[in-house]
Amino acid sequence: MEVTVSPLLQRRLTARALNELIEDAPSSVAEMSEEHRVSLTSRFRAVPSSEHRRLDAWMIEQAGRPPGPFAWSPTTARRILGNNALRRMSQPSDNLANAVRDEVADQLLRAVRGYARAGSLGHWLAGVTHPVLGLITAEAVNWATQSLECVEAVVTPWRIASSDAYYDVAGARTTLRGRRDVIVETPRGRVIVRIRAGQPGKCAGPGLRSDLVVETLAHPHGVAPQRYLGLWPDAGLILGVDGTMENVRAGARDFVRAAVAQRRLNLTRAA
Amino acid sequence: MLSAPIPELVTDVLRGDRTRRPRRDDTAAAGLRALLEDHVFSVFGARRTESTVMITSATINAAGRVLELADSPLSRARGILVSIAFRLLVAQVHVADPFMDALNAWRAERPRDELLDALVHLDDDQRARLSADVTSHFATLSRSMGTIPSGWRPRTSQRARQLLGGTAVCLRDVVDLVVGSPHLAVTNVALVDITTSPLGPGAERTMRYHALMQTMRTSVVPLRTSIFSSATGDLWTVDVDQEVLMRAVEDVARVLDRWKSP
Repeated sequence: MEVTVSPLLQRRLTARALNELIEDAPSSVAEMSEEHRVSLTSRFRAVPSSEHRRLDAWMIEQAGRPPGPFAWSPTTARRILGNNALRRMSQPSDNLANAVRDEVADQLLRAVRGYARAGSLGHWLAGVTHPVLGLITAEAVNWATQSLECVEAVVTPWRIASSDAYYDVAGARTTLRGRRDVIVETPRGRVIVRIRAGQPGKCAGPGLRSDLVVETLAHPHGVAPQRYLGLWPDAGLILGVDGTMENVRAGARDFVRAAVAQRRLNLTRAA
Repeated sequence: MLSAPIPELVTDVLRGDRTRRPRRDDTAAAGLRALLEDHVFSVFGARRTESTVMITSATINAAGRVLELADSPLSRARGILVSIAFRLLVAQVHVADPFMDALNAWRAERPRDELLDALVHLDDDQRARLSADVTSHFATLSRSMGTIPSGWRPRTSQRARQLLGGTAVCLRDVVDLVVGSPHLAVTNVALVDITTSPLGPGAERTMRYHALMQTMRTSVVPLRTSIFSSATGDLWTVDVDQEVLMRAVEDVARVLDRWKSP
């Protein structure tokens, strides 16, 4: 049976288009019941893994290929620092550069007091040289300015997400991560905005759907957001998916496929 | 209008006369994109290209010219080091040794960059010359830039990518410094390119290309586009209007014509 998914929305990244996409977001959204969760769990359990699996939109876009070893760099640190700096600002007119510096200082303080575990951002920041810290600050200011530029003209109340969405699939040694940067609270629900560098690839749609399913699973009542919007400021593009059951199902299926692909890769490597 | 060598600070030139700023133009981008799409179609037609044609400001300037000294790995490395040192300057970081500080920051950003390997193999004389060169460029920059207020929302190395004709052509750009917000009623975004070469005819094309890419990126026409030479301290700046953008489209079209079937 052919599976249909709602079409991918595409607009130029302008304040007007973003506001329209938020205002026109459908009010009826999918809800994931306990039955849905059990079903998803059983599918993941059917794909055994010797180690804990961590799956996210990036892996869906890479057809299940696991990412290379993670290393902190100014580019990988900018999103956390930039978003945290934005959350520090009480109003958009506040000084962004100072907010980033305060955030970096907080991370360093945490490391000095011994609260930063090895491999964490604070731990890494504490070990870098002064000019590298300067470049990290520049990158974080760039990220924060760009994010603010994207959403400051949004009329509906919004806030910077305090963290990404995570869902631990019980008994399947699997954690799903959904990337989110801005949460727009509408009178009928919520619209989630995700900001990414570069330009959207061919698998940007499945990537958004996978973020949508994690956001839905992470909600205490399993309620999907009205819309999941991906912003690519470098390309000046917005892509979006609605919070329909078709999209949620498609996102869940892609995660299971990625787990299967990952297992195959692991088995090939082991052989 | 291009300016002669300017003794004042770059920040003063970017600010300009606040009362003469035009209203924000958020309608031109669609027309420019349509023109480019039409041209891409006239070149490639409906056929699918094997690989995406990449266009950057360097491609625009390289059209029809032979390889120059500025294309050597050492010159490219110098350009990157000055660019990183400039980022530190804008971030108001104390830069004690421009060469070493920029090199450290570069290593942290892209540790596997091939150009970094080339620097490792420099002999002491070459290394000292490069260090002196970067220090001299940085001194010109720090003397001429002035302090950029945080309220201007400065962002450095801002990237832009635009696909045309499906995936036939990709326009890519990196602007060294962008200030201002595209959301105000009057236009107030200014672009600055930093070059380590003296300003020549190619500088105008670079300025226009940045303006075109910024317009397509944000759908809002920027206020002005500038280029600063850290070799000579010269600054050229031009207010962006329809003519500037149309000429930028022609520059891109001229490069694309190289792929036209005979």
